[in-house]
Amino acid sequence: MNELEKEIQALKDELDRKREEIDDLKKLAGREIDRTFEAPLEEFSDRELDVYLKDELSAINDLAASRPDIRAVASARKTLGRPIALLKRKLLETTFIQLDVFLDKQIKFNKQAVTLLRVLHRRLTERVKALEDRIAGLEEETVLLRDRINEIAARQK
Amino acid sequence: MKKTREAASGPELAAAVRGLLRRRGVQAAADELARRELRLGLRRPTLAVYDHAFHFIGGAQKYGLTLTSAIQDLFRVTILTNRPIGQREFREWYGLDLSSCEIKVVPLPFFEKLKVVHLDPSFVTREVENPFHRVSRESGRYDVFVNNSMNEMVYPLARESVLVCHFPERRPKSYFYADDYTRVVCNSRYTAEWIEKKWKFAPHRLLYPPVDMETDGAAGPKKKIILSVARFEPGGFKRQREMLAAFLRLCRARPGVAGEWKFVLAGGSNPGNAYLADLSDLAASAPAGSVELRVNIPAVELRALYREAAVFWHMCGLMQEDPGETEHFGMTVVEAMQNGIVPIVYDGGGLPEIVDDGINGFRVRSTAALLERTLALMRDSGKRTSFGRAAEEKSRMFSRSVFEASARTIFSEILESLRSAAPPARDR
Repeated sequence: MNELEKEIQALKDELDRKREEIDDLKKLAGREIDRTFEAPLEEFSDRELDVYLKDELSAINDLAASRPDIRAVASARKTLGRPIALLKRKLLETTFIQLDVFLDKQIKFNKQAVTLLRVLHRRLTERVKALEDRIAGLEEETVLLRDRINEIAARQK
Repeated sequence: MKKTREAASGPELAAAVRGLLRRRGVQAAADELARRELRLGLRRPTLAVYDHAFHFIGGAQKYGLTLTSAIQDLFRVTILTNRPIGQREFREWYGLDLSSCEIKVVPLPFFEKLKVVHLDPSFVTREVENPFHRVSRESGRYDVFVNNSMNEMVYPLARESVLVCHFPERRPKSYFYADDYTRVVCNSRYTAEWIEKKWKFAPHRLLYPPVDMETDGAAGPKKKIILSVARFEPGGFKRQREMLAAFLRLCRARPGVAGEWKFVLAGGSNPGNAYLADLSDLAASAPAGSVELRVNIPAVELRALYREAAVFWHMCGLMQEDPGETEHFGMTVVEAMQNGIVPIVYDGGGLPEIVDDGINGFRVRSTAALLERTLALMRDSGKRTSFGRAAEEKSRMFSRSVFEASARTIFSEILESLRSAAPPARDR
């Protein structure tokens, strides 16, 4: 091994050590590697829409049971902030007790609507598939029947 | 002269590499060092070829490994896998000698925890850390990185990188790096068209898959066999069920014509495949000896089937509007044609690039049309012979030798490019 090759080997070892020290792929690449992309729904195939719809339905399902969250109530005032926030929370809690009766009904409705959508989606998909199968079967029968007629006609000539 | 000048500049080299290390990071410095080493002829260029499914038998994997075999004398090759696999399997499954290549396993703990056989990239969402980053890191250790997976979640760190796209399954979303590869090679015009539609860029090269099912000598006498060769996909999108149902209807309605014919469905399957069980039940209702399911048969048996069969059915794409569930190319159709079998295929996907309707086979859009064409062929042995000859002629376009020559051209260009800093040109 000559001097240059020794130098290269030393550099390689140094770079390997540095590589092992870096956890983040971005740093290794030396640039930002991730981007965000819009979903072009109008270009989606049925299968892609199906997957998208299932994802969306499960997201809706999570939202269906949402309730107001009083933990988010805060005040920007320095000194009076804490008592004001406490007061706001108490007031909201009292209001929510009244609202809960109404909200329970709303949540029940939301959940049933989501379930219904899901069932309808599945049932329609199954029905379309069954209809496609039936049409294919009928088309096959037609071809076979025509073939038989042609054969009989040829025999009679 | 160049070699002497660079050989004499050891300290300059160290300064240049360390300068790059400070300014642009480890990978850029490693790339520069590798480039200089290659220019000085100090070592052979290195190439890694990766597929997350190398531990399965598959058409895409055969493509990647045949490519590797064709260029293994140009590079020092490492085959990257995520699960243990050996040279023996590659030899048995594809008849390829890759003994000059090293095999390196890069385990992915994310999938190990899931205990799944198939490392499905669709399990990886934005909410989880990208498990394929381990492969991305490894890619930076080679001069050339070839990603043969249907998986564009691997970020290429090598200076020259090739994404072999068998089909753009995903649209660009989380961890999408397809356009970070220096070159994208696709397997058919159909795939190229969908890369442009989904990924919004044109691939660099079209390289049709290698097909090497030619007969050793003259094809023997054909028997009255309709053959289908396709993987028994649990989702059923190869459409074996529809073909089998059509054949059974044919046998029942036209016993005088179809009575002596047999339908053989050959293909690979994983254990516990419910779709295959369903097919077996359906096959049990067929007249005795008229239907055969041949699962995971060795290559020698498959060759015998190809030699004997007269008609080939392939209906992948039927009743499917999703481009991903249509045949992206159709290797088994070419295999059949190489053996003088008349193909009747679905008129969609990459199949029109192989079969010219009414010239060397037939393209149909329904099982009814499939039966119509089949009945005509069943009645006319002369037609079967002439179409079989035309099919054999067309299949030469997709031979292994044509593939290997094209692959070597692509990778010779890459070798040239490795020694320069110029970006590759898109030439499609």
